[in-house]
Amino acid sequence: MSLFPSVALQSLGTDTGTLVYIIFFMGLFVFQFAFGTRIQVYFALNDIGRGLGKLKVMKEKSRKETIDYLVNVGKAPSDPTQRVDQFLDYVTIMPVNTDPQGIINKIDHIVTTNNDRVRAEVTALVAQNSPVTVSISENLLEVATALNMIHKIVRHYYILGKKTNSYFTLIQLQMLMPMIMQECDALLNAVDSFKVGQPVGDGIGCVAVSKFMVGKEKRAIAKDTVMAIAEYKGRKLYVVKADGPMAYVGQPGVAIKKVIEEMGVKPSAIIMIDAALKLEGEKTGEIAEGVGAAIGGIGVEKFQIEEVATKNKVPLYAILVKQSILEAITVMRKEIAEASEKVVQTLERVIEEKTKEGDDVIVVGIGNTLGIAQ
Amino acid sequence: MISSVPATDKKSKLLVYSIEECPVCNQKTKRAFVVGDYITKEGSKCTKCGNQTRVSLVYAESSKPSG
Repeated sequence: MSLFPSVALQSLGTDTGTLVYIIFFMGLFVFQFAFGTRIQVYFALNDIGRGLGKLKVMKEKSRKETIDYLVNVGKAPSDPTQRVDQFLDYVTIMPVNTDPQGIINKIDHIVTTNNDRVRAEVTALVAQNSPVTVSISENLLEVATALNMIHKIVRHYYILGKKTNSYFTLIQLQMLMPMIMQECDALLNAVDSFKVGQPVGDGIGCVAVSKFMVGKEKRAIAKDTVMAIAEYKGRKLYVVKADGPMAYVGQPGVAIKKVIEEMGVKPSAIIMIDAALKLEGEKTGEIAEGVGAAIGGIGVEKFQIEEVATKNKVPLYAILVKQSILEAITVMRKEIAEASEKVVQTLERVIEEKTKEGDDVIVVGIGNTLGIAQ
Repeated sequence: MISSVPATDKKSKLLVYSIEECPVCNQKTKRAFVVGDYITKEGSKCTKCGNQTRVSLVYAESSKPSG
């Protein structure tokens, strides 16, 4: 008598449990199906919002550091805040590319106009207008402008995604955020090196070639670019780099063209030394050799070098020093600096292997030459 | 959900040094970087041979041993 009801209840309990179990998982499935993307959008918005907050702090910090530098080091006679703020929103409009013929010259013209304008404005802004101070101010403004632009673009897609509740816009942005943050972190770190004039990783090519220029007569060969003539085992070296210790990158393309076309030099080789972005897993300071024009940037200089080398049938050799984006734009790390000895050895070997006594060779150190004179 | 925004890396402090090298006896002296230093700048007299040294490198290294 007493056993029966409990068995019946147990049986009923098991059935109810199974039913609840099934209903729970079906409910969960429907919930996931109906609200899954909304939940992901919520998390993505939170995530991007946090990153956006950090970006805002970064861009404000770089702006403040730039203003402080202009006031404290540049001895700006009046408050430069308003001018700096105008600068941050300054845009460079690239030429139309639907008809690409002659576009490089157009880009060159626009970029040169922009650079000249920036320098003229910075020179007018500071009272202590030594070339080093002006060039550092230019670089600091560039960093502040880049961070401001990145913040604006991320904010644009964040608000757009939020407004339209667009899952794909937000997820794509969320996936890109780690790389964006890494790049911005590198830019912000660069400010500290620029302010005190410390050489950056990108300048390793300039460090290597400066060893051939010390004590030699230097002449200006292009805007912000110098050349010295050195000798190595019977070869005449035309050594080119940006004019240091200012934070210049110079015009190596124009310089090489002038050496060949205006000075009438017939080089047996053009050897370029530059920093190269390493792939994850590669060691900082590793040296790679190759052929081709080793130069980054917008492409104008690379085009000019390739054109003059092709026209005159001069082989282009490259020596690259591997580093990350952070290492390239912040103070030069020990591993990179110490690679300069190996770069010089590699350069000497390439000269010996690819040229013979009596030949002319153009050697170019590429990169920002801040803190590296010659 | 795992955050895709990386937390700020715990950076080890970087100390910046200038290396003064004697062009005659190649003796190298490492000292702390001072504002105004640049590569090829004339340094102090060489402690070994008395010649004029030059700043040959400026670099940063971590204050903590890596690893």
